[in-house]
Amino acid sequence: MSSSSQSLVQHGHSVLVRIAKGDIRHIKAEENGTAVIPKFGSFLCNDLIGQPYGLTYEIVGKNLKLLPPRLLQEVEDTDATNELISDGQLVQPLTLDEIKELKQSGAHSSDIIQKQIENHANFALKTEYSKEKYKKRKEAKYSKTFTTIEPTIFNVCEYWFAKDQTRIRDIRSDSLGQILNLANIHPGGRFLVVEDASGIVASAILKRLGGDGQLLAICDTESPPAFPVMQQLNLTPDEIKPLRSLNWATALQDYNPIVPPSDLAPGEIRSERQKSRLKKQLFAGEFDGLVIATEYDPYSVIERLAPFLGGSALIVVHSPYIQILSDLQAKLRNMPQYLSPSVTEGWLRRYQILPGRTHPMMAMSGSGGFILHALKV
Amino acid sequence: MWSSKRTIAAGDTVIVWMTRDSLEPLVVTPNAVLHNKWGQYPHNAFIGLPYGSKVRSSAPSNSGRGGPTGGFLYILRPTPELWTLALPHRTQILYIADISFVVNWLNIGPGKRVVEAGTGSGSFSHSVARTVGREGRLFTFEFHEQRAMKAKAEFEKHGLSPGLVTLQHRNVCKDGFGEGIEDSIDAVFLDLPAPWEAIPHAKKVLRKDGVARICCFSPCIEQVIRTVTALNDAGFSGTHTLPPTSRVHSNPTSRFLSQHPPLPSLTEITMFETLQRPIEVSSTPKLASIEDAADRLKAAEIKREEKRLRQIAQNREKEALDKALAEGGGSGGSGAGKRKQSEGDEDGEAGEGANGDGDVKRAKTQSSTTPEEGEGEKEEEGLPRVPVLTTREIKLPVPARSKSGKYDMEGKIAVSKALPEVRGHTSYLTFACLVPYAYALAQGEKKGTGAVVEVKEVVNGATPSTESKGEGEAEKSAEPEVKDGDA
Repeated sequence: MSSSSQSLVQHGHSVLVRIAKGDIRHIKAEENGTAVIPKFGSFLCNDLIGQPYGLTYEIVGKNLKLLPPRLLQEVEDTDATNELISDGQLVQPLTLDEIKELKQSGAHSSDIIQKQIENHANFALKTEYSKEKYKKRKEAKYSKTFTTIEPTIFNVCEYWFAKDQTRIRDIRSDSLGQILNLANIHPGGRFLVVEDASGIVASAILKRLGGDGQLLAICDTESPPAFPVMQQLNLTPDEIKPLRSLNWATALQDYNPIVPPSDLAPGEIRSERQKSRLKKQLFAGEFDGLVIATEYDPYSVIERLAPFLGGSALIVVHSPYIQILSDLQAKLRNMPQYLSPSVTEGWLRRYQILPGRTHPMMAMSGSGGFILHALKV
Repeated sequence: MWSSKRTIAAGDTVIVWMTRDSLEPLVVTPNAVLHNKWGQYPHNAFIGLPYGSKVRSSAPSNSGRGGPTGGFLYILRPTPELWTLALPHRTQILYIADISFVVNWLNIGPGKRVVEAGTGSGSFSHSVARTVGREGRLFTFEFHEQRAMKAKAEFEKHGLSPGLVTLQHRNVCKDGFGEGIEDSIDAVFLDLPAPWEAIPHAKKVLRKDGVARICCFSPCIEQVIRTVTALNDAGFSGTHTLPPTSRVHSNPTSRFLSQHPPLPSLTEITMFETLQRPIEVSSTPKLASIEDAADRLKAAEIKREEKRLRQIAQNREKEALDKALAEGGGSGGSGAGKRKQSEGDEDGEAGEGANGDGDVKRAKTQSSTTPEEGEGEKEEEGLPRVPVLTTREIKLPVPARSKSGKYDMEGKIAVSKALPEVRGHTSYLTFACLVPYAYALAQGEKKGTGAVVEVKEVVNGATPSTESKGEGEAEKSAEPEVKDGDA
């Protein structure tokens, strides 16, 4: 598996695209198909397949044109302030109809923007920064350009976190990074995972295994767990290979199966055989780590799965709620087989850095949840 | 990396865990002995034990821990995280919050090729080595000779060198990253005082056929601003040093190239701060209700009142006695003195005093079930009538024993709060991408727009195609599609 092919858009990929408005959509890249971004545009997938991720394109007809990058212009400071700018209604005189007309006449988006600027009563009075901000906002509105986003663990996590963080149990990108490091996820390792976070944890672990090692997911459903995040990461079959799943009933049963194999239908026999093989693996123990991000009581999970961990194995639990983890820590602290249970909270702050305008972002994430980690001894 | 066997063998590097805050690396050496304040530990006792074992001291420890049987410690399998906490510091090191965030943002994973400068104490290096695995590579550079040697020795001892980690003693700001790794690196991490000096060199080694990433780690905001300028100048994050009208890397008539005026990069250079706040969890008895406090105060009030009344009765007795004595002979002085004393007692604090009389009084109080009224009558009986100081009848409630006992040890709750002292700042993390514009253009031109083409095998380091794809073919820039519902 060449690592360079990983950064190209391939047939079958779920592609995240950042459209000019600043929000992120997703499309499916199917060979010979057409990608549709609702209320934005559509284009032939073949133009995108084979392209490296991270570039910006303009939709022209049904085709894509590569957009060249541009220099970040140094915006000169002026003495302008917003002292004289009136916030009245007549500031933006191009009506919706006029704009529509311009669009239909085939005017390029930059022409529309230029017209708007000309007609904007107060444009000249604005500071240069404010003008740029205005231009940028308008550009974002009328251009049919988008940028593809490489499906890395970080990018996919950010996308999900922004879209609906409760679906990934508040696992923010810094939390996810810490979970992976604290659990010592490495190629060739053997890990147990119990998660209800749409598969973000399992997918990230698989990515860090790189096809080498084992990941056994214990779940509460009869069929294998649906991990929607896995789709977005575009994992190769090789990368998915280490993943197996068992449900709790099977995992906790006595070693002997309930139904003797001879009584089963042929198809069932195979799946039963696989189940018993997995159970054998689970019961053989000596796993390197256990990662938990579940709605179920974490202590009940640890109590049942800790026997399958090797000595000096890592236990990592993530929860959106501190109370869950402080109760867990209080319990584990008095038990000799768990060493040094510790609870931490992640803090993350993002800055914008632009000349003369460097400061933390105005909006900030309130919480990425909490993490408890301990050693099995 | 380190041993992945179940049991400890001679020669293994292990992590000795003494307390939550005290971890040490140790090389298990036959016949050596570990002496510390937790006791005495011959290494031979470790050999053959499973990792994670608790080991008792062979002699009583000075710390007193473990009681009469002696101290103890745990022998753990090294991980990069434990290594970070245990390693001997030669420089300020990176801790898990920054390490994990950087590794994640830079998309470091199995098989990746990473450049690091400077190596420092190797904290970040070990984490990267673990994450890239046998198929990946770490090229790390340290300009301080002694530190470089120390780090090299460690990498060799831990099985990382040769093979996975290549360390060079080199000043990358002056001399770059050397030949041999150009256009092949997925991620660069710069932990240097002046990262802007290394940025042009970094650009040379980063791959050009896929998104490549860089992170600069700097404690001061001035360094960040200077770094961003350098990144912009070098063309990171989709920006370009050349003015928009010039198209050096491509044919101006290329049909894959947009005629759209260049947009500002939608993926700008960003900067983050990240910290990990440790939370302290403790056990506390279930919180007392104010009912308990009220009861306590009421009980105290009752006692105070009882004492006051006792004092009054006592004073009356003495007064009467003094009067009788005074009428019979002169010992008024002592009476007055006594009175002063009892007044002092009256004004004194409530609660059991250190008086010798206290016990007697207490006994008196406890024997009565409905206090005060009964006592008052008893006292007055047989004595000359004197004005009673209390003008109202006091009805004192009997304090109820609280149900949610403050002293109930079964009902404990766990409470948590951040440690009083937490780290406030490590460094600013500045991140940028190098977008493979030229490569993308070449790929797009090769394929031809609108044609049905197989996805071809990717060849590393493809050079941009300068061949025009045919100006004859009708490929006018179509009118931008008008889509409703966009206003």
